[in-house]
Amino acid sequence: MEIDSSVYGYMVDEQEYPDKKIILEEDSIGDWVYIVLEGEVKIKKSTKKGVITLATLGKGSIFGEMPLFVKREKRRTATAQAHGPVRVGILDTARLDREIESLSPQLRNLIKTLTKRCRETMKNISRLAGED
Amino acid sequence: MDSRDSAHSQISLRYRKGDLIMKEGDYGISIYYVKKGHVRVSKKQGNSEIDLATLGPGEVFGEMVFLNKTVETRSASVRALDEVELEVWHPASLSREYNQMPPILKFITNQTLARLTTMNRMYAQLLKKKKSVRRGHAHEQRGDTRKYYRKEFNRPCTYRPLNGPDKPPLKGLVAEISVAGASMTVGSRNTLAFKHTVDDEIVVFTSLPSGRELELPCIITAVNKDHAPGDVHIGLKFMELDGETAKAIGFFMIS
Repeated sequence: MEIDSSVYGYMVDEQEYPDKKIILEEDSIGDWVYIVLEGEVKIKKSTKKGVITLATLGKGSIFGEMPLFVKREKRRTATAQAHGPVRVGILDTARLDREIESLSPQLRNLIKTLTKRCRETMKNISRLAGED
Repeated sequence: MDSRDSAHSQISLRYRKGDLIMKEGDYGISIYYVKKGHVRVSKKQGNSEIDLATLGPGEVFGEMVFLNKTVETRSASVRALDEVELEVWHPASLSREYNQMPPILKFITNQTLARLTTMNRMYAQLLKKKKSVRRGHAHEQRGDTRKYYRKEFNRPCTYRPLNGPDKPPLKGLVAEISVAGASMTVGSRNTLAFKHTVDDEIVVFTSLPSGRELELPCIITAVNKDHAPGDVHIGLKFMELDGETAKAIGFFMIS
């Protein structure tokens, strides 16, 4: 995926992770938002029967964005793990928060609902995958 | 409340428990905001329906058509779970704001939307797999319990997986047909391109001897590889056929 040029203006830091290294962990608390600059990141979620991979993200993919829209829930929904060496950018959360605040309640609600539904579906998948 | 609220039309709608608010496949552009009550979002899968989400006050639905310009019809159905009050938003004013929103937010929203679609599909597939494991034994016998008279057909057909990626269609032969289903013979090489498994949904394109074209959405009910070497026999049950198609097959059956 091409990285939208506007994204670079929000980048406050860059980090590199070796293969298999955990970038953010399910259930931990945090609100940093990441973008994949190079390499691949696997999104994994635990189930009663073990860990499943929900997605493999490549260059340009954003992750860790859920707390931006669903403020009350700061716990990470899933784990992000480096798949091969990865370089990620960290985005300016405070500035993104201000941009989101500037939207009308309608538009903000709309995007929020998408995020909530995404999170709920991930939970449903993990529940179902853990069933016998 | 924000002063910009006045820019949005404020039409309220009320529904009772069980009411169908939005129907999958229908055309519609409005976005709905839940003011009171709860709704259930569900999607058709084969002959059954699966629940995707329950939404409550403060949540929005009907947003897919607005956010994804390649979608024209509703991607899911929505029903009232109790006494529901909705606010209807016309997308025109929201659309203006959406287009002017900081590009990074659009970039993130598009990714969230794509992810939700992927997650929904993953959930549906997982649900289907679980169901077919539970019903596993019933399938083996389904081919033997035909309710409808089948007539010899022997006409070439093409087919492709429903909702799958747009690959070139595969070729086969419709051996028999009834008003409710058909049996198809395909070369075993076809299984390299598409794993034919029970419960998979496919669309079959063939024609009647009269020349009338048929487009038949089907569910695979049986797969038999032991009939003849190199051939795979596939049992098919039609999903909802449109009235004209059903009538045309009916006439063929009695001709």
